[in-house]
Amino acid sequence: MKELWLTPTALPSIPVEAEVICPDVVAGRTLKDVSSLEVYVGNKTHILGEFFEVEGELAEQASEQMIVVDGTCQTVKYIGAKMTAGSVHVKGCAGMHAGSQMSGGEMLVEGNTRDWAGAEMSGGLLRIQDDSRNMTGGAYRGSPEGMTGGCIVVEGDAGVELGSFMRRGMIVVKGDVAPFCGVHMNGGEIFIMGQAARRLGAEAKGNGGFIACLGGVDEILPTYVHETTYKPTFMKLYMRQLRDVLGLEEAARFLETPFRRYVGDLAVGGNCEILVAEK
Amino acid sequence: MVVHSDVVCPFCGCLCDDLEVTVEGDEIVGVKNACAISRSKFMNHGENRLQEPAIDGKKASLEKAIEEAAGILADAKRPLVYGLSSTDCGAIGRAVELAEVLGGVVDNTSSVCHGPTILALQQVGESKTTLGEVKNRADLVVFWGSNPTESHLRHLIRYSAMPKGMYVPEGRKGRYIVAVDVRTTRMERVADEFVKVDQGGDFELLLVLRAAVRGVKIKAESVSGVPRETIMELVRRMKGAKMGIIFFGLGLTQSDGRHMNIDAAVGLVTELNHHTKFLLTPMRGHYNVAGANSVTTWQTGYPYAVDFARGYPRYNPGEYTSVDLLAKEEADAAIVIASDPAATFPAEAVRHLAKIPVVTLDQKVTPTTMLSRVAIPVATAGVEAEGTAYRMDGVALRLSKVVEPEDGLLSDEAVLEAIIERVRALKGEVG
Repeated sequence: MKELWLTPTALPSIPVEAEVICPDVVAGRTLKDVSSLEVYVGNKTHILGEFFEVEGELAEQASEQMIVVDGTCQTVKYIGAKMTAGSVHVKGCAGMHAGSQMSGGEMLVEGNTRDWAGAEMSGGLLRIQDDSRNMTGGAYRGSPEGMTGGCIVVEGDAGVELGSFMRRGMIVVKGDVAPFCGVHMNGGEIFIMGQAARRLGAEAKGNGGFIACLGGVDEILPTYVHETTYKPTFMKLYMRQLRDVLGLEEAARFLETPFRRYVGDLAVGGNCEILVAEK
Repeated sequence: MVVHSDVVCPFCGCLCDDLEVTVEGDEIVGVKNACAISRSKFMNHGENRLQEPAIDGKKASLEKAIEEAAGILADAKRPLVYGLSSTDCGAIGRAVELAEVLGGVVDNTSSVCHGPTILALQQVGESKTTLGEVKNRADLVVFWGSNPTESHLRHLIRYSAMPKGMYVPEGRKGRYIVAVDVRTTRMERVADEFVKVDQGGDFELLLVLRAAVRGVKIKAESVSGVPRETIMELVRRMKGAKMGIIFFGLGLTQSDGRHMNIDAAVGLVTELNHHTKFLLTPMRGHYNVAGANSVTTWQTGYPYAVDFARGYPRYNPGEYTSVDLLAKEEADAAIVIASDPAATFPAEAVRHLAKIPVVTLDQKVTPTTMLSRVAIPVATAGVEAEGTAYRMDGVALRLSKVVEPEDGLLSDEAVLEAIIERVRALKGEVG
C-alpha cells in the first residue's frame, strides 16, 4: 500500500470539514492536487494544504491507498467518511463523523472520536482505540436505518445511542456504554465487554439482532422478559472470531460462559435478544 | 377610546384569540379575557424598554447600528442566527434569509425546549389534532410533564378541561383528566387522577403502558414508582376513551431520556389507535415557536439547527444547535432576535456568547442586550406590530397591532430586512 502522510499544522478553532481525507478522493492524484483539495471552515473555502503538510506517495486505486493523519484532529470532521476501500490511520483523535457512511476499507483512530463515528456505515472496519462519543454507528436524525454492515470496534467507552436503528453489521465495545445502546435495533450484533447502562435495546424489533453484555448491565427494561439461562453455541463462535480476527483477547474468557437470555422489546412486539453473561 | 376585540395574545403557545384590549390615545388601559401573564404583557409593554439603538453600550442612530450589525455578521465565518420564537412569521422568514445570505446557522428556541419532540416525531411520526377538536371530542385528557395551571393558564379553561364541546356537552364532568409528573403540582387538584412517577422514570412507564395496551402481561409489581394496578387501570381508561389526548411538556422533553421519552409517548399513542382515537400535542411555550419551526421547515426543509455554511441547508441537532455551537466555541458572531440566551443557556455557552460580537433585536433590556455589541430596540409583535403566529397545534392566527410603536421603532422584520440589504451590499451581492 502506498502511504500519504498528512501532518496537521495550525488547525482553526472552527471545525474543518475535510471529507477529502479519504482514499477514494486522493487516489490517482498528484501531491500538489491533494494539497489543493477544498476543505471548509465555517462559510469559507480553504485548501487542505493550509492545514496539513502533505507528503508521501499516491496510488492509482483507492484500494492501494493508505492515508496516515499524523496528529490529533479533534476539530476535523468527516475523516474517512464515505470511503469504499483502502485505509485511513489517524495517529490521534478524530472529529465528528469519522468513518461515517463508509462502505469498505479500514480506518484506525488511535485516540478518541466525537459524535457520529461510523454512523450509517455499510461496510469495512472502523477501529477506535480510545473512547467514542454519542451515536457511534447510529442513524442520522430522521433516518430509519443506522448501520447496515461492516464492523466497529471501540476499545474505550461509548456514548449514548450506540448503534441506533442498527440493521446489520457488528459493534464491539471493550469499555462501558451509555444509555440507549441499540435503540430501535432491527438486526446486527452488539458486544459490550464493560458495563452496559440502562435502557439498552429500547424499542428494538430484533429481527435476529442481539446485544451481548459481557460485563454486566445496570438495569434491563421492564418490557424485556427473562426466558432462560443457557450456553449458546453461536456465542462460542463469535468469541473465537473476536479473539482471532479482531485481536480481542478478553473474548476468550467467555467461551464457556452461560448467558441469561432476555427477549423484547415487548412494547413494540420485538424479539431482540439481550444476552447477559453470568458472573 | 378604542376597543379592539378578538385580539390574539402573544405570550404562550395557546394563542388565545378572544382578548378585548382597550386603548386610550397610545396607551393600553384595559385587557379583558386575558390570563394574568397576558394582561401583564399588554399593560406593561412599555416597561423596561430598550430606549435607543446602542453600539458598545453607547447611543447610536438606527442606521449606524444596522451598519455595524451588518459589518459584524458579514465578516463572520461561523455566524449564528438565534431566537425567533417570540416574534412573527415574517421576521422568522427574514432571519432564515439572513442566515442563507451569511452562510451561517439559523436556530430557534426549540433547541432548548421541544427540540427532542421534533427529533422523535421525525423518527416515528405524529398523530396531530387541533385544540378545537380536543375541545369538542376529547373525553380523556392526559397532561404528562406539564403543568398548565402555571405555564398555559387558559389551556384548561378554553380547550382541554372546562369547555362544553359538541360531543362533550357536560364540559368538565364529561372529561377524565390525568396528570403525570415527578412531583406534586397544582394539577393534582385539577386532575381526576394524579400519577407520580419517579424522577427519570417516564420512559419505562411509557414503554410498559404501550406493552400493556398490546396485551402483554406486566409482571413487575411497580414501574418507575407507579403500582401495576394503577398502570392497568390507566390502560383500561385509555382504551375505553372515545377520544384521548396526551399533552406533554418540558417535564418529558428535557428530562432523562429526552427525545426517546417522546418516541415512547408517540408509540403509546400509535398503539392506542388500534383501539380508539388517540392523539398527542406538545405544550409549546413561546407563542410562536411552532411558527419558527414551520417557517424554517417550509424555507429550508428542516425545523431548527439549519446550517447554510455550504450554501445549501444541512440539518443536524447536536452539531448545529446553538448551545453546541457556543459551548464548543465555534460561533464567531451571533444575532439574537426576540430571545434571551444569556439568561437561559448553560454557563459555558453564555461564556462564549459574551466573548463574541453579538447583535440583539429586542424590546426590553435583558442580560443578552447587556452583553451585546449592538442592541437595536424593536416594536413588540402582537402589540405594536402585526404579523402571523402559529398556535401549539399548528393553527395560524393573525397578531394585531393595538397601539402605535414609538417614533422610529421598527418591527423585527423591518430591521432584519435592512440588515440583509446591508450584508448583501457588503458581500457585493445584488438583493
